[in-house]
Amino acid sequence: MSPIGLRTESLSVGYQDRQVIQGLDLVFPVGRSTAILGPNGCGKSTLLRALARLLKPSAGRVLLGDADLHAADTRDVARQLAILPQFPLAPDAINVGELVRRGRTPWRGLLAPWTRDDSDACTDALDAVGMTDMADRPLAELSGGQRQRAWLALVLAQRTPLLLLDEPTSHLDLAQQIEMLKLLQQRVADTGMTVVSVLHDLNLAARFSDHLVLLSPQGLIAEGAPETVVTAENLHRAFGLAAQVMADPLTGRPWILPH
Amino acid sequence: MIRGTVLVLLLAGSAALALLVGQIHLSPASLWDGLTGGDGPAALTISVLRGPRVAVALLSGAALGLAGAVFQLLLRNPLASPDVMGFTGGSGLAILAAIAMGVSIPLPLAAAAGGLAAGLIVLTLSRPAGSRGGIDGASPVTIVLVGIGVGFAASAFGSFLMTRLSGPQAAEAQRWLVGSLSARDWSHVRILMAAGGALALCLALQVRALRLLELGAELASGLGLKVARARLLLAATAIGLCAVAVSIVGPVAFVALMAPPVGARLARATDPGARLAAAAGAGAVIMVLADLVARASLPGLQLPIGVTTGILGAPYLLWRLSREMERGEL
Repeated sequence: MSPIGLRTESLSVGYQDRQVIQGLDLVFPVGRSTAILGPNGCGKSTLLRALARLLKPSAGRVLLGDADLHAADTRDVARQLAILPQFPLAPDAINVGELVRRGRTPWRGLLAPWTRDDSDACTDALDAVGMTDMADRPLAELSGGQRQRAWLALVLAQRTPLLLLDEPTSHLDLAQQIEMLKLLQQRVADTGMTVVSVLHDLNLAARFSDHLVLLSPQGLIAEGAPETVVTAENLHRAFGLAAQVMADPLTGRPWILPH
Repeated sequence: MIRGTVLVLLLAGSAALALLVGQIHLSPASLWDGLTGGDGPAALTISVLRGPRVAVALLSGAALGLAGAVFQLLLRNPLASPDVMGFTGGSGLAILAAIAMGVSIPLPLAAAAGGLAAGLIVLTLSRPAGSRGGIDGASPVTIVLVGIGVGFAASAFGSFLMTRLSGPQAAEAQRWLVGSLSARDWSHVRILMAAGGALALCLALQVRALRLLELGAELASGLGLKVARARLLLAATAIGLCAVAVSIVGPVAFVALMAPPVGARLARATDPGARLAAAAGAGAVIMVLADLVARASLPGLQLPIGVTTGILGAPYLLWRLSREMERGEL
């Protein structure tokens, strides 16, 4: 997969009655993982949905490479940019292998036979999430963490240089959250893909992301490396939270101690 | 045993039974003779009377089953189907209006237009207040209630139109409105085969879209599906299938509602493609058996098929509704 950039150009997005995001200029670093953070209602998911072409901007543009994302063909976009929504729906009685195979849809013609590339992509995706031996297991019988990894395998099988995830850790326990974030970190390191996720947990985001975007209902608070974004002042501005920020003794990443 | 075997056996069995039983009972031997082109009275009964009737039942049942399955998959709603949602009633009213006003447009087209109009009204009225469009938000029970209301309105207008018809015209219209398979000939079979076949083929090409829509609109879009267009195309195909069936056999109730779950259960189908095939098979079986019961249960009296499907389908609908209520949907 060749690297391709994703950025926004004075992007405004909103629903009928209110603007959620206004005039946002962001560049998501290629081959890195970016986390979008902020308090509830700040427009994290709205931003991600606009990046994923699920919402039309009310002004400004999202640029995929040099092309306007919202003017591009849906299928061309699906070959470059994958989205894992927060609540995908699980079809009845589907097993993991069948689920992952659906990730190949953008690469296949309507009546095209299954190709070697298709099976390779699925094998590789299952391998990346450590579910090679679970392909025949029904999705419904898996634990929450395994199910989330199966969904991740589906979008990895899509083989896109860009992957967007909407709160990929939101219904997982702590161990599963860390497992999921490590998987993504590993995938970025292995393949050079660009990952953009909406995350809730600031400590985990600072620990596992290369780049942070901190939003508040008033707009962008800060963006950049975790050390520059997660500061006591920024936390106060975004969340109204009084906290002290320490350096994690193991990684040197910022670690938040709320007062 | 291969999935679907039960359904195929049922299909063959019910079709054979429907050819054998009637005012003149045929023996299996004479059935074979009739089917292979003999020229006895059995052959005549089959080629002129029961053959087209059974073929119309099979094909219209399959079309209704497909239409029901598409709506149930599309709306993720076991109560969705063109009859419950008022489409069939709309189709019926449009045809009645065409007859009453003496407009010469092909009946399937009139039926499709009426069905589409009724469907739009139902979906618009079912939409939750403040929803940003789309049909995802409407609860199953709301759609059914609104559909029943629209169905009542259609039948009220229908009754009004009936008063405008001459005696014999009104009698035929009345029979047709309940749904009937009597006096159907091979020309009806040909219409069903051509139009229904073309639409079924369109549907086969849309199975992939159904498979993506199953994952939710957002993931489907992320996987390259033009979601709004795909939904519209699927709904239009289903309304078309329903309209073709209704224009031939009348607004037969409940077949489209019952066929998809019955078929899926019998064939243990889970994938959308398999579900569609199973619904078509089950629709055909239900239609043939319902017609058989309608014409053979009371000696000397031929009931319209809509009476049998109504007796069968109303309890099913009530049972489904009570299940939805238990799940807190109402």
